[in-house]
Amino acid sequence: MTNSIEELGSADVLLVTGSNTTETHPQIGRNILEAVDGGAKLIVIDPRRTDLAKEAHIHLNLRPGTDIALINCMMRIILDEDLADDLFISMRTENFIPLRDYLHRLDLDELSATTGIELKKIHEAACIYARSSKSVICYCLGVTQHSCGTDNVQAVANLAMLTGNVEKKHSGVDPLRGQNNVQGACDMAALPAVLPGYQAITDSAIRDRFQAVWKREIPAVPGLSLTEMTHSGKDGAIRAMFIMGENPLISDPHLSRVQETFENLDFLAVSDIFLTETAQHAHVVFPAASFAEKRGTITNSERRVQLCRQAIPPIANCRPDSEIIMELGKRLDCPGMDFESSDEIMEEISLLTPIYGGMHYDRLEQSHGLQWPCWNRDHEGTEFLHKYYFTRGKGQFTITRHQEPAERPDRTYPYTLVTGRGSYHHYHTATMTRNSKRLVREYPEALLEINAQDAKTLQLQDGEKVELLSRRGKVRITITITDRVQPGTVFSSFHFFEVPINQLTTSVMDPKSKCPEFKVCSVNLQKVKHD
Amino acid sequence: MQNVMTICNYCGCGCGVYLCVDNNRVVGSYPSRNHPISRGNLCSKGWHLHQFIHSRNRLREPLLRKNGELLPVSWDEALDVTADALHKSRERSGPDSIGVLASAKCSNEENYLLQKFTRAGLGTNNIDHCARL
Amino acid sequence: MIDLQEMILEKDRLIPLLRKLKKESRLIAPVTNKHGDTLLSEINNIDRDTIDLDRQPQNSLKSFFLPQQEILAHYSVDTTGYNFTAPEAAKETIYFGVRSCDLTALLYMDLIFSKPAKDASYYDRRNRSVIITLGCNDPFANCFCEATNSGPYLDYGYDLQFIDLGSSYYVAAGRRKGADLLNKWDYFFRTVEEEDQKIRYQLFLEARGRFNRNIQVSHACHKLQEEEVAETIWEKLAGRCYDCGGCAYVCPTCTCFSVDDMAIDDSHGTRIRSWDACTSSGFTRMAGNHNPTDRTRHALKQRFLHKLKYDYQKHGKASCTGCGRCVDICFGGVDITTFIEMFTRDAS
Repeated sequence: MTNSIEELGSADVLLVTGSNTTETHPQIGRNILEAVDGGAKLIVIDPRRTDLAKEAHIHLNLRPGTDIALINCMMRIILDEDLADDLFISMRTENFIPLRDYLHRLDLDELSATTGIELKKIHEAACIYARSSKSVICYCLGVTQHSCGTDNVQAVANLAMLTGNVEKKHSGVDPLRGQNNVQGACDMAALPAVLPGYQAITDSAIRDRFQAVWKREIPAVPGLSLTEMTHSGKDGAIRAMFIMGENPLISDPHLSRVQETFENLDFLAVSDIFLTETAQHAHVVFPAASFAEKRGTITNSERRVQLCRQAIPPIANCRPDSEIIMELGKRLDCPGMDFESSDEIMEEISLLTPIYGGMHYDRLEQSHGLQWPCWNRDHEGTEFLHKYYFTRGKGQFTITRHQEPAERPDRTYPYTLVTGRGSYHHYHTATMTRNSKRLVREYPEALLEINAQDAKTLQLQDGEKVELLSRRGKVRITITITDRVQPGTVFSSFHFFEVPINQLTTSVMDPKSKCPEFKVCSVNLQKVKHD
Repeated sequence: MQNVMTICNYCGCGCGVYLCVDNNRVVGSYPSRNHPISRGNLCSKGWHLHQFIHSRNRLREPLLRKNGELLPVSWDEALDVTADALHKSRERSGPDSIGVLASAKCSNEENYLLQKFTRAGLGTNNIDHCARL
Repeated sequence: MIDLQEMILEKDRLIPLLRKLKKESRLIAPVTNKHGDTLLSEINNIDRDTIDLDRQPQNSLKSFFLPQQEILAHYSVDTTGYNFTAPEAAKETIYFGVRSCDLTALLYMDLIFSKPAKDASYYDRRNRSVIITLGCNDPFANCFCEATNSGPYLDYGYDLQFIDLGSSYYVAAGRRKGADLLNKWDYFFRTVEEEDQKIRYQLFLEARGRFNRNIQVSHACHKLQEEEVAETIWEKLAGRCYDCGGCAYVCPTCTCFSVDDMAIDDSHGTRIRSWDACTSSGFTRMAGNHNPTDRTRHALKQRFLHKLKYDYQKHGKASCTGCGRCVDICFGGVDITTFIEMFTRDAS
């Protein structure tokens, strides 16, 4: 997030797109609702009528996969209404003219038809967003999990820059980060192309700095992304894997390909707190300590680095992941694997990672965390990003064009399946939440949301089991009839291993971000015949 | 009974939560009121954060596959077998034959260590995690 | 004995007194920790732990008398069936600095856990407790105990009640255990003088005028006896309830719980009681998936009616004690004061 969570509560206009915020980021949802109760306007872009969409002044329930058309339409309206921030555009951005010319060539009625939303509604939303100088955009995986995910994000950035709604308090573009430490795992370069702090692995000067501390040569060529590894296949390049605290056999797209990879690896080691579906395929399984049994920092969605304190010693014969890694490191002659504490590891992180330069345990111990960039001990952290300049200098406008999702409904697969986090009571592959009795009681099984109109056509009753099929596989799932989804669209989550919804999803991904297209795949539903 | 301040392990909001500890068992989760995110309340996952920690289903011992079955072994055996297998794969098919997945559920320090181990120890940049999932 | 029912404790004598008390039992008091939170906590070191009597503790006595998760029994299973062993007995505990609302809530829990039979775990702790309250001279931002008849000072129910007179405390014994403490440690106290009485009375009057919020609790209770709440109100509230359970968990009088058996292995386990919330759909769901409560329309109905209507009918008093803990923490901004304001404003 470029803003802080707390800032959202005081924004005048909130545009939330592709995020079921009240369920998946409850505290951010709380701030949004506080803003709404204080008089702010809320615009929600989502094909589903989520709880937050019910609170919206305008709900733009677009056809899945038409985000760019919608944002382009809004931008064109903003130009027509003379609501663009000309001063901001000339001072802080570049490449505006080509975008302006492109937008002028678009036909508003055509864009509106593409999105399935009437033009009047889009017009109203565009004006509300552009007229305020305290407008914030929050987006989540509903924007990124498309084959055009990077362009979707660029479109959102274009919209914010066009109206000057960035670089100040209460206005900006905020990607809501999902997992408790997905921000930190990225910051720490658990990514194939960067070193900690997003420093390019291809830059030899940067590699030199790390090599001086690590005392080892670092390969200069970026590595493979997650799906490239898990989809590498029977005779793929990946022969051995080490997996720490992840469960790709539930979470990754097109599961049969993941299964094929895992079944043909020469070696798989998994470190986890439960025997996950992935761990069941391993040759070696390490019992890891849970978050309550170790010390360390995690970084939340607003870049706040916070200290997790150890509450109890590791249970049974478990060990923290850091110990497991260091033990393996020592056995493979990797230097610098003898840290005595997470405090000492952070000392090395702050040495090599400029944005974490001021992260010191004594400071984190005394506060509720520090927001990066935090350059040094005297720096108090950064509440919102891009004050005075963007990371790259000037903000760049880039033309984005609508493109249809990889799969479109056809006669064999006439419905569009959207997947996501589907329950307030469960998290991701649910290894933790399904071991929590109360959460299991509150949401015991996977459900497929379907509109009443479609249920009627298919002669389905609420609570009935159906067979859900795509070109890649099928699952059996219980349906719930709801107006949360539009006719033609069904929704489910990937929380339940008994209903591995990712056997259905496509392996098509955004070419730049490698983000899979979880939000659109074509499916069919069949009544389960009883014997 | 003791209250230990930590950060919730579920979503990216990052609530301040007290784990209530009694006799080395976590028996409760309570929100911090002064924390800028939690502000005195948690969602249903946060309020039940303590429930999975002592679950009977937790892994308790290192496991090694022998004759197709995962069986308990010592830490040394599990670590030796793993180090040996990674070493062999590197020797036989090069460092890029190894893939490593880090975790958005683990700490910064652990993720840092794992990518350091992958890059400096194994000699590959094949490291990623579920950021896009 | 009679003359020891009310005494004065100079503030300098407070820590020496607590030090003595701590020697004989566990001592629980509001402590502000280094994270800036005030929690009723066990005092381990009376010189190091900062007892904070200026801020409202975030947790109530419920955390101790009906803990979030407690062991009701250990069990083993063999061919003869289940064998239960009782958990460890409770320790003698003195609770110091308890607010009037929280003691009122405890008196309510006494009632709940006494029928039909006395709850063994609850009464084990209750019988070994001494409650020392502190009257509120300066109500906290969200408090409305005057409207619920549970403060700012109390007339009964406490073992000892402290009132802050500035440089000293006015200490009154309300029950045997309190009087015994006064007797035992009489050398720390002095007798009450007329001036002390005057200050106490003045402070009480001023405290009653200091509430920030004017919540029409008794009006709501009366009105609920006579008329139904409009469906639109329930639906509005339900639409903003996100099912966190937080209001029930922080509430000092919400006593919903569930009991689960947690297996340690195939033949051993513990029977656990843990907090629950009537606002959760799973709480009322029955076998076969039938649910008498429609969450989407009535998520908060049972909770609010229980507190303001049914308990008022049964006990002549609402079971909300005006502590204000649920105010400002609701994700959707629909706490009990929102309901009371909506309902009492509605068409009257």
